[in-house]
Amino acid sequence: MNYWNPYLETLPREAYDQIELSYFRKMFSFAKEHSALYRDKLKGMEGKEIRSLDDLKKIPLTEKEEMRKYQEVEPFPYGGLLGSDIEKVTTFRQTSGTTGKPIYVPETYESWQWRIEAWCHILYMAGFRPRHRVFLPFGYNVYVAFWEAHFASEKLGCELVPGGALDTKGRIHKILEIRANGMMNTPTYGLHIAEEAKSMGIDPASLGIERMLCAGEPMPPATRKRLEELYQCHVFDHIGGTEPCAWAGMCEAKDGMHIIEPFFLVEILDRETLQKEVDEGEIGVAVVTPLGRRSFPLIRFNTKDLVIKGTNSCSCGRTSKKIKEVVGRTDDLRKVRGVLFSPKTVEEVVRKEFQEVEEFEIIVERRGLMDVITLRAEVNAQLPISSIEQTKARLKESLKIATNLSFNVIMEPPGSLPRYTLKAKRFKDLREGDKNE
Amino acid sequence: MNKQIRNEIERIEESAKRLQMLAQDNPAILKNADILLTFVYILKFITPIRGKEEN
Repeated sequence: MNYWNPYLETLPREAYDQIELSYFRKMFSFAKEHSALYRDKLKGMEGKEIRSLDDLKKIPLTEKEEMRKYQEVEPFPYGGLLGSDIEKVTTFRQTSGTTGKPIYVPETYESWQWRIEAWCHILYMAGFRPRHRVFLPFGYNVYVAFWEAHFASEKLGCELVPGGALDTKGRIHKILEIRANGMMNTPTYGLHIAEEAKSMGIDPASLGIERMLCAGEPMPPATRKRLEELYQCHVFDHIGGTEPCAWAGMCEAKDGMHIIEPFFLVEILDRETLQKEVDEGEIGVAVVTPLGRRSFPLIRFNTKDLVIKGTNSCSCGRTSKKIKEVVGRTDDLRKVRGVLFSPKTVEEVVRKEFQEVEEFEIIVERRGLMDVITLRAEVNAQLPISSIEQTKARLKESLKIATNLSFNVIMEPPGSLPRYTLKAKRFKDLREGDKNE
Repeated sequence: MNKQIRNEIERIEESAKRLQMLAQDNPAILKNADILLTFVYILKFITPIRGKEEN
């Protein structure tokens, strides 16, 4: 069986549209009735006024900032974001708070199971099956990361091995000991496990991982390819977040990501006005409405994820809309010397062309009136000292071509840059208050 | 969606609600019947009837 839900995954386009419109209207009315945020925000609007998907544009987007404001009231700690009776809440989650005060996210048993059902699509598409013994190399906590992976693996029938409370070496030993053949991790941590395994004299390919599902960070194609080469396994990507849930995943064709329809209504809007749907191949901002999660209603949530809109066809036979690639976050886009810059471009260059670079960090700062962008590149121990200057020159040249910016490149010794288990923080903008000037 | 599948889902829903009525003083039965209704909600969501305001 190729599909988790053959009926839902092969619907004609017009059927998806019709079902999603119907679900949207229902969620609109539910949100207005049960959430203080939407009682105010949607005042004067009625669900029945939404007659087509084009009418969605009449409804304002939901921004994180207003959610923070509405969460300040009772009932603590969810305030006006809560869509159910507080006694029905069974799980607390929160966002990381990197852009401000964290958002606290309530899940009832129903909403959590709804999320898990959507996640089963992601796992199944990536080829995970009951024969897989899936290792999760994380101690999961208040953040949503890997909880969905845990419960969806279980629901799918995989054998789940929680790998928290171990260091990286301990996890490598555990993977070997129990013969895990599936793993879910951030791309960064996948690279780190491979690096650590090599330092222990273990070829990452011999760990026996057949399938890897990555999460938590945008993964450039070159990083995915590097992971596949290191582990000699299939590596898949998906996208989501604490507030909107995981809403798209990669199938075995590995050609973009399928939006999990009709669980989510996803609009890819132009970044300047956030009004128009972009064309195929163009970059836009993903705006997501989860259509069946009632504990935490969200209508047209601005994820700030920048994605390239994909085609609607796929060799796997699924008929859902696709995104071609995740570009990054609008928060990460910076103007440096007047040039729009995304840190993901640097990762793509480094992972694709510089096998000798193990880790990197990008720093933007202002010196006088001038923006200076620096790449700290950590080389691996195998690189002869005589080749360091050559690598440095090649990095400068490749980065100039890819970003149109002249980088100051500093070569760093092996093991000198930080390693991350969850979201990597490789980009530091030290300019204050003028990030997008 | 196959009408027969929808009918079966609705039968589970009715049974779960009947269980809750019959066992109002039994938290274990009430909770397990409630869990059945959670999955009824999901089953209905994943078997949409086109053209109907239904989930």
